[in-house]
Amino acid sequence: MKKLFAVVKREYIQRVRTKFFVIATVLGPLLMAAFTVVPALLMGMKSGGPTRVVIVDQTGKVYARVAKELQTGRERPAKRETPRPATQPAVGPGAQQEQLKQAGRMTEASFVVEEARLGDRSLEDVKKDLESRIQRHDIDGYVILPPDLLKDGRPEFRARNAADLFTKETIESAISKATRSQRLVEAGIPEDKVQQASEPVDLKPIGETGQESKGEGSFFFVFGLGLLIYMSTLLYGQVVFGAVIEEKETRIAEILFSSMRSFPLMMGKLIGVSLVALTQMGIWGAAFLAFSAWAAGGSSITLPHVPAMVFVYFGVFFLMGYFIYSTVYAVVGSMVTTTQEGGQLAMPVVLMLVAGFFLSFNIIRSPNSSLAFWASMFPFFAPITMLVRIVTETPPLWQIVLSLVIGFATAIGLIWLASRIYRVGMLMTGKKATIPEVMRWIRQS
Amino acid sequence: MDDSKPTLVLNHVRKSFGDFTAVSDLSLQVRPGRVFGLIGPNGAGKTTTIRMIVNITVPDSGTVELLGQPMTTALQDRIGYLPEERGLYKKMKVGEQLRFFAELKDVTGKEADARIDKWLAKLQLTDWKDKRTKELSKGMQQKIQFITAVIHEPDLLILDEPFSGLDPVNVEVMKDTILELRNANKTIILSTHQMEIAEKLCDDVCMINRSHKVLDGKLREIRRSFSRNAVALQFEGDDGLLNDPELVASMRRVGEDLEVLLGPDVSPQSLLKRLVDSGVVIRKFELVEPTLHDIFIEKVREAA
Repeated sequence: MKKLFAVVKREYIQRVRTKFFVIATVLGPLLMAAFTVVPALLMGMKSGGPTRVVIVDQTGKVYARVAKELQTGRERPAKRETPRPATQPAVGPGAQQEQLKQAGRMTEASFVVEEARLGDRSLEDVKKDLESRIQRHDIDGYVILPPDLLKDGRPEFRARNAADLFTKETIESAISKATRSQRLVEAGIPEDKVQQASEPVDLKPIGETGQESKGEGSFFFVFGLGLLIYMSTLLYGQVVFGAVIEEKETRIAEILFSSMRSFPLMMGKLIGVSLVALTQMGIWGAAFLAFSAWAAGGSSITLPHVPAMVFVYFGVFFLMGYFIYSTVYAVVGSMVTTTQEGGQLAMPVVLMLVAGFFLSFNIIRSPNSSLAFWASMFPFFAPITMLVRIVTETPPLWQIVLSLVIGFATAIGLIWLASRIYRVGMLMTGKKATIPEVMRWIRQS
Repeated sequence: MDDSKPTLVLNHVRKSFGDFTAVSDLSLQVRPGRVFGLIGPNGAGKTTTIRMIVNITVPDSGTVELLGQPMTTALQDRIGYLPEERGLYKKMKVGEQLRFFAELKDVTGKEADARIDKWLAKLQLTDWKDKRTKELSKGMQQKIQFITAVIHEPDLLILDEPFSGLDPVNVEVMKDTILELRNANKTIILSTHQMEIAEKLCDDVCMINRSHKVLDGKLREIRRSFSRNAVALQFEGDDGLLNDPELVASMRRVGEDLEVLLGPDVSPQSLLKRLVDSGVVIRKFELVEPTLHDIFIEKVREAA
């Protein structure tokens, strides 16, 4: 036990003191943010001021309504106290478009609208004129509302940037609403009734306790948790991998094995690195809590409220994933002679982790499906999938416990198996071990 | 010394890897207060033997006994091991590194610190204690590695090629240290393929070649039993006398010397007398003891 402790201590102290640790601790959250928020922000961001649109209203009736819709951004009246989080992450097919739309909404109310009257000019002349204004970057686009718009006419939209989905979407919606209102008024319904009838419903999502829950926030949060567990498992698996290769290359292994058995050596290494990971996550967690507290004090940023149990579950499931994957990394490291060889050999295992991560997309949407159940029982997926289930729709306790039992039993089995391969592998030099050789090592040692 | 209880006993130890036999039927006894040379060319099975002694690998058959008990993990702490291929954590500071290896051998706390300081001072490395290991020269790293092998004051010290990579000054320091430990009644196994080193340091030797033991015993006795009635000569004058086949069986040049193997019934004295009588000026006349190298070559030829 003393020796195991000596190994733990060395791994921990030597790693926590490195610049790499400090940098990773600081950059980790920034990277996370960069991976999730920034792409969406970039897509949603519209540079270069408001979109300037000219509307040619051949009906002569709806321009005012369309302009109002566009300029006030009426979809959700000023009922919401807080702006929504920047975006929601992409989930599944079709989600990206959803994401784009939502990001686009951030730019609502950024239209400058101008009416162009035909007067005695022909439509063609006006179009030509507008076209040249687009060329001169005087305007960004124009809309032609046909005279039969209120019946079944299709408006035309010409934009310099035809790929700008948000603008098209917003204009389409504004024209639809304006047209609908105008039709109602023409059908004899008083203007104020039309206004009233058009009032959108604001769905209020509530959590278990009946309080309003920030749906998008926690969705974002679940996704972030999945990503965090995925990235840190991979990162710390690599750390273990590097440590094993170092000991093999420098032949330190020979001295280590002449002093202790391979099982406590391997355990010590895994535990030491896991403590480094927990330290880092502890720092992140504390920073998150501090930031939440600060944000709660009247800032415009809302962070999802995170129950304390989530932190505990996160830690436990991270450890489970870490021990499973790092053990595999340690074995691979002991079998090969160079990092590159190891990368190839570890690939199938890393793919399992990736699969678990992608499964979580589906599980976020239906956390109680049988797919979700089995995925969260399979030890190689469970660290991500079970955590996602817990945060989205907490499964019965027995499932959580069962998943943990399977996972940690797998980890211990793997470590036991690995320590047998480890000792022989670490002392072998010159060539990569083959699978039959490894099988023989397991039987022999 | 023969009556002292052996520190280490190997009984008919065998180890093979697949079809390759690394060590076959090796038995030997190593006694305290002596330097035991495990010698043989590269690939003879020295390292495999050592790995079985330190319990890194287990023999296929036969037993290893240390201090009268079958080898176990607990007994590993009684052994100090300097492997042939040196390994230190490059980024660790020297002091921390030594501390870690001391803890691995169950030496902890103030005791460990005191011993580290003592050894660093002894090998003139005190100034390097807070330096990272990778900043040290190869020779210095070697000495650090040596300290990791002796920090827990083991009963049995196994040194696998301890002099490789050392400059002449450090070779002397290392030799003195080894002899000091021997005089403190420690048991030392010195594994090397450099026969000259073994010759100077060892009290006992075991020669192995291609997994087989070819010779085992006290170095002095071995050399005496292989003594070949030979003389190393340097002289000026006519060497016609040496062409007498009754007097000289064979001759060869060894550096400046002419090494002469005398005929069956010729004593060195009679050769000396005849040389003096012939009028040559003798500058060197020395009885030649066979070197370990010669003995080894002879034994290997015999076996073949």
